[in-house]
Amino acid sequence: MTRTSPHQTRPSGQAPEESTVETEPDARFTFANERTFLAWNRTALALVVAGLAIVQLLPPFPGLPWGRHLLAVPLIVSGAVLSVGSFAEWRRNQRALRRGERLPRSMLPRALAACIAVIAIAAALLVLLSATRN
Amino acid sequence: MTPPDRPPEDMEDIDPGLARERTELAWSRTGISFAALGAAVLKEIPVAGALVLAMSALIFLLGHRARPSRRVGGHDRKRHVLLVTVAVAAISVIALALALFAGTSPAPPH
Repeated sequence: MTRTSPHQTRPSGQAPEESTVETEPDARFTFANERTFLAWNRTALALVVAGLAIVQLLPPFPGLPWGRHLLAVPLIVSGAVLSVGSFAEWRRNQRALRRGERLPRSMLPRALAACIAVIAIAAALLVLLSATRN
Repeated sequence: MTPPDRPPEDMEDIDPGLARERTELAWSRTGISFAALGAAVLKEIPVAGALVLAMSALIFLLGHRARPSRRVGGHDRKRHVLLVTVAVAAISVIALALALFAGTSPAPPH
């Protein structure tokens, strides 16, 4: 890649150790950060939709009237948390790009995986429980 | 009227890596996701559903402003990004209210 942005190179008079110097990053990085943020928010929306669908469309678990809410409420809440978290991450990444630092480690993939795993296990337990009560 | 050494309308020159175009498409996808959710909410709370649909249109339009002609530099768009965050958080609150207080589809048997 020979195509470089003029913003990418630092002014030559500045010391490279100065980490608080902020320059406008390459436009492609800014766009990529924005796309990542949007992708997280679509994921958050998908979680909210899943939670709504569980309450609105699913027939109740036999013998477990609170079962659907047990799945739906964590899904919706994790959607909200994911959205706010992705904004914080977007801001951190943008700052790191402006300062030319390494990108900070992201907590969101771990959080999302943990969320989905826990909810999936809860769903499996609910299915088993409702089968035994039927 | 274009210079001879450079082909006209080469998107890679205006838009390296097609980053702007891809970002515009990402905004469109997000708008469509909002619209899908709005349609789902519309059934239960028409006012909130209409609001979510309006938000989806707004996000679609914001995405179109990422085009090369309108956005020359790579400046971040903090307000637009914040708007999406606030919208998703607000929708989550609506959805939570729906899940907790609205009538769930068939009434659970006792």
